Amino acid sequence: MKLVEALGLLRNVKSRKGEAYRCFLATGANPLHLTTFLTAELALVLPDQRIELQQGLYGDFVGNLSRLADANADSAIVLMEWSDLDPRLGIRTASPWTPSSCADILSNVNARVLEVQQSVEKASQRMPVVLSTPTLPIPPISFVPGWQASSFELELKIAVQSLASGVSQLAQVRVLNPQRVDLVSPLQDRLDIESELLTGFPYKLPHASALANLLANLVRKPVPKKGLITDLDDTLWRGIVGEVGIDGISWDLDHHSQMHAFYQRLLGALSTEGVLIAVASKNELSMVEKAFTRKDLAITVNSIFPMEVSWGPKSEATSRILKTWNIAADSVVFIDDSPLELAEVKASHPGMECIQFPTKDAAGIYSLSLRLRDLFGKSAILEEDAIRAESIRRSHTRISNEETAKTTPANFLEQAQAEISFNFSKLPLDPRALELVNKTNQFNLNGKRYTEASWQNYLQDSGSLLLVVSYTDKYGPLGKIAVVAGRRDAKKLKVDTWVMSCRAFSRRIEYKTLEELFTKFDVDEIELDFVPTERNSPLREFLTVIFGEAPSPGCVISRNVFESRSKLAQVPQEIANG
Amino acid sequence: MDELEKRLAACFSTVMPELTAEEIRQASATTVKSWDSVATVTLIAVVEEEFGISVEVDDPARFDSFQRFLEYLREVEKNAG
Repeated sequence: MKLVEALGLLRNVKSRKGEAYRCFLATGANPLHLTTFLTAELALVLPDQRIELQQGLYGDFVGNLSRLADANADSAIVLMEWSDLDPRLGIRTASPWTPSSCADILSNVNARVLEVQQSVEKASQRMPVVLSTPTLPIPPISFVPGWQASSFELELKIAVQSLASGVSQLAQVRVLNPQRVDLVSPLQDRLDIESELLTGFPYKLPHASALANLLANLVRKPVPKKGLITDLDDTLWRGIVGEVGIDGISWDLDHHSQMHAFYQRLLGALSTEGVLIAVASKNELSMVEKAFTRKDLAITVNSIFPMEVSWGPKSEATSRILKTWNIAADSVVFIDDSPLELAEVKASHPGMECIQFPTKDAAGIYSLSLRLRDLFGKSAILEEDAIRAESIRRSHTRISNEETAKTTPANFLEQAQAEISFNFSKLPLDPRALELVNKTNQFNLNGKRYTEASWQNYLQDSGSLLLVVSYTDKYGPLGKIAVVAGRRDAKKLKVDTWVMSCRAFSRRIEYKTLEELFTKFDVDEIELDFVPTERNSPLREFLTVIFGEAPSPGCVISRNVFESRSKLAQVPQEIANG
Repeated sequence: MDELEKRLAACFSTVMPELTAEEIRQASATTVKSWDSVATVTLIAVVEEEFGISVEVDDPARFDSFQRFLEYLREVEKNAG
């Protein structure tokens, strides 16, 4: 982004009327144009909110860390450069450099790093904190020539990396990846010496722009994609299996097709991290099944579900996959080597991210892997991630069995030995609860989203309540699949947020949840902050069954109505196809 | 207004969107309220981006009006040509 573009964006941001998003920037430098870039980048990732970037004082990094502790903000960025750790590591001081001063600098840096660690830990208890370790070069303090790494510089880097490694393990801390900074902003193009001397702003504009972009992505993590659909021929492997046979396809060094193994390994890894992987291929199923018996494949057939292999249009195959996964097209990435297939799928599913696989372009495949990591990346792997694919496979089996046996959802729970558990604890903070609230679209009361800080504030309110619902049956666990958040007054329970994973549809969990709320809080009425959204038709259909008519915003369910409707709805509306 | 002047006016308009086209041509640090030291360094940065040049800023205070910027750019253009 150019500065002129950022300034233009800022003009529009000023007229926004939405809720303010406050971000505290703790740095010792004069952030000058960085604040312009950062505000603009935050405005792009938070399109409905006003952006307030709070700053401390120029040249007072330690003081700004203290101010961070008391800041009333939704998130914080700690941006440190070497001169913030010891002024002698910058160019604005006249302190002498001697071999003996190196030890003193190192000692100062270690002490300062400890202060940063404590401040970040403290602040992260209240809000997400992004840490950027120094991005500017270390000045030529050490006596060794520039091509030789001095123990002094290496020790400095160890101190900073030790800090980064330590705080990166905290739930609410994200550390900017120096490798990505290196990729997008060459080291020699970062420091603006003239500007640093004149104004205290040390960055060249392209570096400030790149830094702001990366920091904004860390502040407001993009919602990761959920599923990946891949082609097989000249994509998962080199060659067309129908033409060259099972032994003719390859993914190894000898056939100059090693990068297909690299791609397979990435898909295998994504699968273990909870990403759904499916195949859409125009092929003979028997050939594909034989191909997957090859022992040297770097991805197991169990990692892939479903496998859509036919001669029909890929748009139809991807539709069937979406139905099986029960997720929306905009949560999915489709990868194929054929531009025609990509265009056909894109025309049918405009929201789907369609990416061409660059067969025979090893560097292109490597770049694709970086892009896929960005699209599917997450800060932590939760218990539910490990069981997601398996539970979809089981659910598919369950629905097939149900259809065969003509079992109704109402008595299915009993036969399936379903166990629903309700957890009302607000502490310790469960990241899965917020994840569900922020990524569920279909069974979602109002589409309301929360930042980590606003969710934490909500739960810290003594009047608020939280219910996390877990489910398991003889087909296996689904994990934590629903969240209710609300407040209670004298006779009524007010529900502000209610979401349920689409994997949990058709199990009457929504009925059991309401039943539990009426019982646990002994209230006569539950008021729902219902708002229709473009995608919450499953929730609307459920409420329509309860009310006998379409629900209206702020609708109230009385215990009597719920009990009578719940009995009537012994065979509830099938909402699994939402 | 020639091409160079138009491009400079666009830079000013980005940094000081409240000014009209006529006000921009008359703009100076003494007549425009919002023109402070931050506005000066921002104007310099935007001009550098727009014209692909590195402005010599040994004394930023000398860039205190639209006309001063224009003179500087004409000088750069003359020396380059």
